[in-house]
Amino acid sequence: MKDVEADLQDQITRYLSNQEWNDLTDQVNRLANDPQPNTLARVFTGVPRTIRSADTALRITVDGAVSVDSGRLPLLIRDWPLARLIRVWVLMNIPKLELSAYISLIERLFQYGEMEELAALYAALPIYHYPTEWRFRCTEGIRSNMAPVRQAVILNNPYPSHFLDEGAWNQLVLKAFFTDENIPQIIGLKTRNNGKLAGALVDYAYELYAAKRNINPFLWILVAPFLDERAYRLMEQIIQESQQTLTRKAIAYAFGTGNFAPATDFITRNSELTDLRNTAGTPWDGWLDQTD
Amino acid sequence: MCNYSERDRASMGERVALELDLVKGFRFFDPHIHMVSRTTDDYQAMADAGVVAVIEPAFWVGQPRTGIDTFRDYYSSLIGWERFRASQFGIRHFCTIGLNSREANNEALAEAVMELLPFFIYKEGVVGIGEIGFDDQTAAEEKYYRLQLELAKEAALPVQVHTPHRDKTKGTSRSMDIALEHGLDPGKVIIDHNTEETVKEVLDKGFWAAFTIYPFTKMGNERMVEIVKQYGPERILVNSAADWGISDPLAVPKTAALMVKSGISKEVIEQVCFKNAVAAFGQSGQLDESMLAEHIVIDQGQKFEGNSILRGGQQPRRDAGSIIIS
Repeated sequence: MKDVEADLQDQITRYLSNQEWNDLTDQVNRLANDPQPNTLARVFTGVPRTIRSADTALRITVDGAVSVDSGRLPLLIRDWPLARLIRVWVLMNIPKLELSAYISLIERLFQYGEMEELAALYAALPIYHYPTEWRFRCTEGIRSNMAPVRQAVILNNPYPSHFLDEGAWNQLVLKAFFTDENIPQIIGLKTRNNGKLAGALVDYAYELYAAKRNINPFLWILVAPFLDERAYRLMEQIIQESQQTLTRKAIAYAFGTGNFAPATDFITRNSELTDLRNTAGTPWDGWLDQTD
Repeated sequence: MCNYSERDRASMGERVALELDLVKGFRFFDPHIHMVSRTTDDYQAMADAGVVAVIEPAFWVGQPRTGIDTFRDYYSSLIGWERFRASQFGIRHFCTIGLNSREANNEALAEAVMELLPFFIYKEGVVGIGEIGFDDQTAAEEKYYRLQLELAKEAALPVQVHTPHRDKTKGTSRSMDIALEHGLDPGKVIIDHNTEETVKEVLDKGFWAAFTIYPFTKMGNERMVEIVKQYGPERILVNSAADWGISDPLAVPKTAALMVKSGISKEVIEQVCFKNAVAAFGQSGQLDESMLAEHIVIDQGQKFEGNSILRGGQQPRRDAGSIIIS
């Protein structure tokens, strides 16, 4: 806990005046000693007022994962506004109260949250105590129609892959394709990949193909381990028609790695496709070795 | 809170089109518009006409609410979904939060709303308490108007005052007298829905005078032009108050176009259609000109936040995918 505290504090202090930092630590100490709903609401909402000198256009990225403590998932800080970083830090400083008190304290912030507050609240899912209690809240975030809020749950957030059941997880991935998110930023995509999801993605691909719309090539990477006749029929057509290298590469990769005989035969028959199986420079390069 | 049935249909005349070329290069700020009642097409048209920022006052939604939860969800939508929807069109969305006069008459509910307000008024982008004031001018309306003036004082926020449709002149004077009685600085109070009958007193007493171009017609706009000619641009604001009734979300740019035609200078037009709104509501500390100027850049960043790859050759686009219910 100490290290992370120091890490985050170091990030935060970098952008604040001494006065602002003192005000903030005063507020957080008060909160840690006496976590009253009204105090929390005031501190949490008031963050932008406390940090007036900071540049609102600033976005903060911290390399790697920031581990909080052994009981909690790490945070992945990618392009966060400073106010979000501070709000998550404030939430980390709420002591572990008895279950219902702790949940209702934080749930209240969700109920009254404005857009950026909601993004911070969802980005903080990994660090809340009683992690299994936040599953429904997580699915609510995935259902949000506000892009920054939805992205805070779907992207660079380790909570969903650890705690969602298969149905909810699949909804997250489908939603990410529907809303054109950067798919490799979904944490746990590889370990949680499954046949039902692949089936739904193939249905979606058929739908897009019928409407003559683009299909995100990454879809084929997720389908790869679950190739079947239905998937193969469409992919075979697309790899021959498509002018897009990434699309052809994704399908060639899927054909080459799956255990579906017609696909393997297709690759063998079309030796000119061998080059396409090279993953260098593709969005799934590196991702394929991912273990989390 | 713009009462459909009480708008004088006969005075509305013919709809005027926006002469876009006359207002090319202008930036507009509509400081009173109820976007929850408008479609996404309106946002598109407003963005195309040069509207870069709006203020959405909390109001009556067309029929009375029966429970506190609907109030909470409504306020939440003003700081959440509506803010996001506007951002998709490069429009900065602010709001004022308050208990409207009409629903102040349901005292049991009004009490509960008063307890709810402190949870919302300190939020980012909340630029005032509003729209509050009188409708029927009942005792209950007066009670909650006074309580909310005190709340505004405590939170150091501007106040957006709705003036009644019936018995307007007296109701407007009374609204101002009560605000002064509570020790509010008239320079932090915006009196809305003015007419030729009320404007002089409002300006003389040091308040801001906002005009709603209800009748979206040439006549309505022309009356506005005359007022600006007569009183000048100091402390005068133009808004559309567009809502679920007959109203026009392009009222501000259309009025500006007519001002251009009438030979009013660009500086004056910018003042009444943009700068005065920033100055009046900027007193909340939640809004200033530099923020509005930087907005476009930030917004494009936001759209692609966490999605840094603009795929080969793609132009930044409006994130329409997020508006489609997915």
